[in-house]
Amino acid sequence: MTENEPAHVLLIEDNSGDADLVRRRLVESNSGVQVNCVPRLSDALACLDVDTPALVLLDLNLPDSHGAETFRRIRQKAPDVPVVILSGQDDPALAMKAVHQGVQDYLVKGDVTGKQLERALCYAVERQGLLRSLEIARQQQLEFKNQFLSHVSHELRTPLTCIHQYVTLLLDGLAGPISPDQTDHLKTVFKSVNQLHAMIRDLLEATRVDSGKLRIERRCVDIGELIQQAVAMMRPAAAEKRIGLEVGVDRSIPLVHADPDRALEVLINLIDNGIKFTPPEGSVVVKAAMVETDPASVYLSVSDSGRGIPQASLPRVFERLYQDPGRVDGNRTGLGLGLYIAKEIVTLHGGRMWVASDEGSGSTFSFTLPLYSLAKLLFPVIVHQGHLREALVLVRVELTPLCNSLRGSWKETCARCLDLLRRCVYVDKDLVLPPMAGSGPVETFFVVASTDMERVGIMMDRIRGQVGALAPLQSSGTLRVTAEPIPAPPDADPRTLEQQVWGVADYVTGIIQQDLCNGHS
Amino acid sequence: MRTENYNPAPPPRNRAKIMVVDDDPDLRRALSLRLRANDFDTVNVCDGYSAIAMAQKEKPQLIILDLGLPAGDGFAVLKNLQQYPALALIPVIVLTARDPEGNEKRTLESGAVAFFQKPADNEELLGVIRACLQTASGWGGGFPA
Repeated sequence: MTENEPAHVLLIEDNSGDADLVRRRLVESNSGVQVNCVPRLSDALACLDVDTPALVLLDLNLPDSHGAETFRRIRQKAPDVPVVILSGQDDPALAMKAVHQGVQDYLVKGDVTGKQLERALCYAVERQGLLRSLEIARQQQLEFKNQFLSHVSHELRTPLTCIHQYVTLLLDGLAGPISPDQTDHLKTVFKSVNQLHAMIRDLLEATRVDSGKLRIERRCVDIGELIQQAVAMMRPAAAEKRIGLEVGVDRSIPLVHADPDRALEVLINLIDNGIKFTPPEGSVVVKAAMVETDPASVYLSVSDSGRGIPQASLPRVFERLYQDPGRVDGNRTGLGLGLYIAKEIVTLHGGRMWVASDEGSGSTFSFTLPLYSLAKLLFPVIVHQGHLREALVLVRVELTPLCNSLRGSWKETCARCLDLLRRCVYVDKDLVLPPMAGSGPVETFFVVASTDMERVGIMMDRIRGQVGALAPLQSSGTLRVTAEPIPAPPDADPRTLEQQVWGVADYVTGIIQQDLCNGHS
Repeated sequence: MRTENYNPAPPPRNRAKIMVVDDDPDLRRALSLRLRANDFDTVNVCDGYSAIAMAQKEKPQLIILDLGLPAGDGFAVLKNLQQYPALALIPVIVLTARDPEGNEKRTLESGAVAFFQKPADNEELLGVIRACLQTASGWGGGFPA
């Protein structure tokens, strides 16, 4: 389409008379354009597979596609190629719709001369090129912003660390005795350093969210345990403001499939907010419950007796950098990224987060997390040709660290053992269950194996041989592999296959839960 | 090669020697002060090259290592330490301003025993240092029991 190079146009037109007319007009205008004409959408899509034309000239009504659907399919196939519609119908509404969906022009057959057609095509190519460079520039800006924030956060950390180090040296009396007043002032500095640290962390986290780099590692989580952990961490802050921190957890809640560190982050964030916005002597309540209408999720909520959020602000609280407009001096709220990050974490888990508030009486932040559905994972493995496998065995692989093992490297060792373990089993017959989130250092992995107690020994030997031979494990921990049969349902069981799988899943879940309760893993 | 010694008195024989590798002089000094206050001896170096040379000379029982360093970054130091049998067994704790994501896994795979992001909790860091020294002595490492 440019002046110096001959361009080629893909003309999609089923009427051979019209096709010839367009070709003649383009030739008349002496533009040196090569025209490749196909009569059907399917032919056009095949052409676009092997070649990228400078422009697509499109009739909307083809033997195998009609109207808006035609250009939608072309746009989907070749988003960067400019599309000009050449239609028999003068339909302004359809034309506008096409333009909104990214079509460069809508021309009506018979209305345009060769020169006009050539100009229209030429400008369409230019417009598309401009749009493309704008999009590239936008992406570069986004990337630059993320790199900038990431760089700045890291650079801020070094002087912050220095302040942290010297303030703690003074506070700990390592530079000589300090007076009670000095202690008090230094504690204020220390508190501010920690706030600054939290802001830098949030800034990095939000950058990660924006660039799609936030990752979650799901495990089986006892949500009641996690709530207790979060509450224990926030109790001192609540006590300082004389705020009651209560927990209401239904003990019968099944295991949740979530990243325990991230879920804890969400809970702490919500509880921290609750404490911040509740006046002294108020209360913050954390609850977890099942809801009948949504049996695949657990519902968690954090309610406070604070002053609530104005109705008009409710839709905005999860936005980036949202700040409470009514905050009073002295109540530092941070960057306004916490709720934004929390909501993103929940969304990544496939859950939802929302808020309800009555101005003057408090707010309730709620979110859902998916339940750990063992049955769904087990079904393809323990069902063979429409029947439950004859024998099933639960293999337990316990990794116990030596007393002096370090937390960081032990975690890494366990992750490598899990990788190896996955290679010790048959993908279609055995299932290595997702790891569990426990509080202790012992890591337990479970394998549901489609075999009987006599033959499971082969797998256990393989695990002992391969996982047991891993050098980091040998130097920092011990391995124990045991197996127990999973009881088969009675022969004359009238239950459906799904119910049988549920039965197996319930049995295995029961054992895992018992393990978690016993403080194993 | 630059070294800093804040404790001119000869060290008692049973104190463990810790080498601090960090390019920020203020941080080196603060960390040294805290380690000394907790009955450790310290040797400070400021770059990756000096780290190896000083480790050979001083045979520390433990190394605290920053990742962003001139003359060979922390990863290069970890790799180089492995080249010398006498140094390969010294436990290394990485203490860096960098993000744990990506770096934590890589440092542990490169032979470090623990990863801390700055600013680290002092008590937590000291706990890991003590655990490392015990483990090292349990393995028959350099630290006398």
